[in-house]
Amino acid sequence: MKTKRLTELGLLTALALILFIIEIRLPNLVPVPGVKLGLANIITVFAVYHYKASETAMIVVCRVILGAFFGGSLMTLLYSMAGALLCLAGMLFLKRVIPESQIWLCSVFGAVLHNIGQIAVACLVLGAGMLAYLPFLLVAGCIAGAFTGGCAQLILLRESRKRKKRDA
Amino acid sequence: MKKKKWPLFLFFAILAAGILGSVMILRQPRSRQVEILRDGEILYSIDLDLAEDQILVIEYGGSSNTVEIRDHRIHMKEAECPDQTCVEMGWLESGMPIVCLPNHLIIRFAEQDGGVDSVVG
Repeated sequence: MKTKRLTELGLLTALALILFIIEIRLPNLVPVPGVKLGLANIITVFAVYHYKASETAMIVVCRVILGAFFGGSLMTLLYSMAGALLCLAGMLFLKRVIPESQIWLCSVFGAVLHNIGQIAVACLVLGAGMLAYLPFLLVAGCIAGAFTGGCAQLILLRESRKRKKRDA
Repeated sequence: MKKKKWPLFLFFAILAAGILGSVMILRQPRSRQVEILRDGEILYSIDLDLAEDQILVIEYGGSSNTVEIRDHRIHMKEAECPDQTCVEMGWLESGMPIVCLPNHLIIRFAEQDGGVDSVVG
């Protein structure tokens, strides 16, 4: 891999990791397990539309593993990985259907899939009673996904404006 | 390229389904019987209306959860877990269970089927 590409991926991973760790420190407004902003997803959805699938996967896996070391317990690693991988797979698939101008929508489905992945793991560990959380997490996923997707959308707008200025 | 509309509709459908489901679960009436489960297995099945005020301490891998029953209500009083979400959930009021994920504990109302399985207290 070219050094330039490797550096870019490294930077994105670091960004995602920082966002992940900061988010842990944010006060939890909603006392429902699994409800979170998912700020690191801003990076993931951005990478889905700008890098190869394998490269995005590298970012996600590294971020999840390092995030579990720095931020959470190893227990959360299982939940995080399941959610993040399902989210990644979904967004990579949806990238073909959803244009970049609607990237926020892709992020929404990513967030929803992330929560579904986490509930699936929770059900395996704790039994089907965890399904009671599904509706709440669907709503939370829609809202959080729209927010993080909106952030990604804004970043892309700025970048395209900068690019137009530079090329002009 | 024609913009596809169905993703947007799907988004609203998921949001609507989520809101509907949440409202349904939150409006589920309390039942008398509560269950405390660990790893999906029932540890305690308690009839709240008959239960006396009491404190249950449940251990899991070195961490403990303190469950309190008071005035025929139940909640997680204390927990040795990193996120404390279970404690912040307050008293068990609806179809939404109280869960301590790190300690594999669930407190929920049992399915309504009449009759008392066991009484603790």
